[in-house]
Amino acid sequence: MRSRKPAVLVAAAVCGCLALAGCGGGPSAAAGKFSDGKVVIGLLNDQSGVYKDVSGPNSKVAIQMAIDDYKAKYGAKAVAKTIEIVTADHQNKPDIANTKAQEMYDRQNADIILDVPTSSAALAVATVAKAKRKLFIDITAGTTALTGKSCNKYTYAWAYDTAMLAKGTGEAVVKNGGKSWSIVYPDYAFGQNMNKSFTEAVTGAGGTVQQSISTPFPNDNFATFITKAASTNPQVIGIMAAGGDLINFVKQYNQAGMQSKAQLAVGLMFITDIHSLGVDQFAGTSFTDPWYWNLDAQNKAWSDRFLAKTGTRPTFAHAGNYSAAMNYLEAVQAAGTDDADAVRKQLDGKKINDVFLRNGEVRSDHRVVHDVYLVKVKSKSQVTQPWDYEKIVATIPAADAFEPVSVDCKM
Amino acid sequence: MTQQIKGSSGIIEPDLARRVNLDTAEHDVINPDLTRSPGKGRRRSPLRWIMLAVGLVATLALPWLVYPPVAMDIAAWALFAISVDLLLGYTGLLSFGHAAFWGSSSYVTGLIAINWGVPFPLAILGGMLFAMAIAVPIGYLSVRRTGIYFAMVTLAFAQMVYFVANQLSGLTGGENGLQAIPRSFFGIESVETDSFTFYYAAIGLILLGTWAAWRIVHSPFGRVLVAIRDNPARARALGYDVDRYKIIVFVLSAGLAGLAGGVFAISHGFTSLQELEWTTSGKVVLITVLGGIGTLWGGPLGAAIVVTLEDWLTSSGFEGTGIILGSIFVLIVLLFRHGIWGTTQDLFQRRRKAD
Repeated sequence: MRSRKPAVLVAAAVCGCLALAGCGGGPSAAAGKFSDGKVVIGLLNDQSGVYKDVSGPNSKVAIQMAIDDYKAKYGAKAVAKTIEIVTADHQNKPDIANTKAQEMYDRQNADIILDVPTSSAALAVATVAKAKRKLFIDITAGTTALTGKSCNKYTYAWAYDTAMLAKGTGEAVVKNGGKSWSIVYPDYAFGQNMNKSFTEAVTGAGGTVQQSISTPFPNDNFATFITKAASTNPQVIGIMAAGGDLINFVKQYNQAGMQSKAQLAVGLMFITDIHSLGVDQFAGTSFTDPWYWNLDAQNKAWSDRFLAKTGTRPTFAHAGNYSAAMNYLEAVQAAGTDDADAVRKQLDGKKINDVFLRNGEVRSDHRVVHDVYLVKVKSKSQVTQPWDYEKIVATIPAADAFEPVSVDCKM
Repeated sequence: MTQQIKGSSGIIEPDLARRVNLDTAEHDVINPDLTRSPGKGRRRSPLRWIMLAVGLVATLALPWLVYPPVAMDIAAWALFAISVDLLLGYTGLLSFGHAAFWGSSSYVTGLIAINWGVPFPLAILGGMLFAMAIAVPIGYLSVRRTGIYFAMVTLAFAQMVYFVANQLSGLTGGENGLQAIPRSFFGIESVETDSFTFYYAAIGLILLGTWAAWRIVHSPFGRVLVAIRDNPARARALGYDVDRYKIIVFVLSAGLAGLAGGVFAISHGFTSLQELEWTTSGKVVLITVLGGIGTLWGGPLGAAIVVTLEDWLTSSGFEGTGIILGSIFVLIVLLFRHGIWGTTQDLFQRRRKAD
């Protein structure tokens, strides 16, 4: 008899663990079919880590704005009566993004997933979208693979990619007189691609790249690389690092007194980077921005609405999420269903002009091309209001901004 | 003399050694030799069969209880944790670089599946063999050190593997990861597309790995490992080639980690640098310690808790997943020093004594 008691207890403990394990959700549900007029938009992004401010929870606000605008526009005629948003935090981990995307499509009946920063995570979601035959519009991840080797019928890239950043900044800076370049890049795929794209863009526009210097990644001390980059007296120093490495580089660049010696061009930068480090540190830096909140009255008006709801100015990712959600809902309206294949046909080839996309067009490889902007960071004295950090130097027309359709893309 | 040898044995942490030592003396559940001692063994064996049955039922019922891909994650992490437990709990070696085997196997599995389209168990076998192959030199060089130095050396090797994979972007896709790994399974479509049936197709591999770990632990070889853990100097004095035993168990452990990593890669349909990152090594040690080291059951328990919790927190809208997991870890280590399974065992032990 004595042996029974522990056995029962062990069984109870295991059952307890199972109950605990089960708290993630009930029995598995089959893939949802649209029937009840409900549209579910999944927002999958980084809500706690480095990209929290770039996109994060505020993108939900932006998507909600799109839903409100859609309902206001169509009123009683709206085919999607109930529109829901479901969110998840992928913490920039591709395996979590992959599982969550499956879960959103399968269990939460998401019809579309939006955003997904971090290239590997976005590619992981694209794989799921293809397998589940559901839509995915990427906004915050910049890899060209989404519209290249890994492209598929259900995946769109809405805002930008690394090739466009290089093309925009590289060509425009050369045209504005910055002919000789030194490029510093972190030695991993993103940095290598950026270095290649920038070199092509600069030499293509008639400039010269005197040297390309690779740095370890991640890295803290850039002093030797800055000295080496400056040794040939280039007019422009291009830095391809992102995030924390970029901030470190720029700090050390300024401490070395380089600000007056060479112009700094940054490969990938978000307005939140400027905000966190202070506009003075970045003053005079050139980069390409897919969207700026204070470009014109239309952007400003939308940004004011966003500011009233969130207390902060929108990044291009927020506007991109709004635009993607809005155009998706418009496509649902036109198709009269949320069936992915029907909606996809509405989106393909569509020409769009909205608050985010100017002269926008959904290309055959599902890259959305649109006007982008070469900007220079203002100096502190030029800043007239909070978040007023960027001066538009040139508008790069949609046709020139992006690389042509990739030959690797076979849908 | 004995005292001296004992004193000099200082593996990982004296505290850990003492605690596991106590366990082996008290808990026959992990000590087959004691179970066989007269009078005791017959009484306890039904308990073990019940546990085994409950564990098996739980494994098979898992995809009904949680979302199937999450269930597969739990199973993969469970085997991964068991592989770490084999080293940490039974040999007294804290490997802080097991992501190297889990991750490299996931890449090799993926590459085999993509390039040759073979049924996924074969691809996973390839990944597992690769993990064991790289474990030979890593193990050979690491086992010469113990304790924190062993942990650091394994971490260093894991970082090397990480950067190699990062640089070989032509092969591995760099930080974009390896995408679209097919899930071929003799043309049976429900396994290839439905994650629910896939679970049952792949769980066999996980159970096989778990069984292998159980066999290793309960074999004479496993007894030598425990002897090495408790007192390497004495084991050496008894004529065992301690380093060779350590290398062998290191390679076996890497194989199990590789098996788990391969299943993980196939289940997700892709793999990325994250699987090679040191945080992955940290997570699996966390899972093992949380569940209870030196128990084999601890790994699956810890994996179930951590993976489910992570999954649940990501869609909870709460912004600090790390804070919650970290706090739980701190609480468990402070309150249940032997991990969840270890503490449960202790409780039974105490009750039994009280009876």
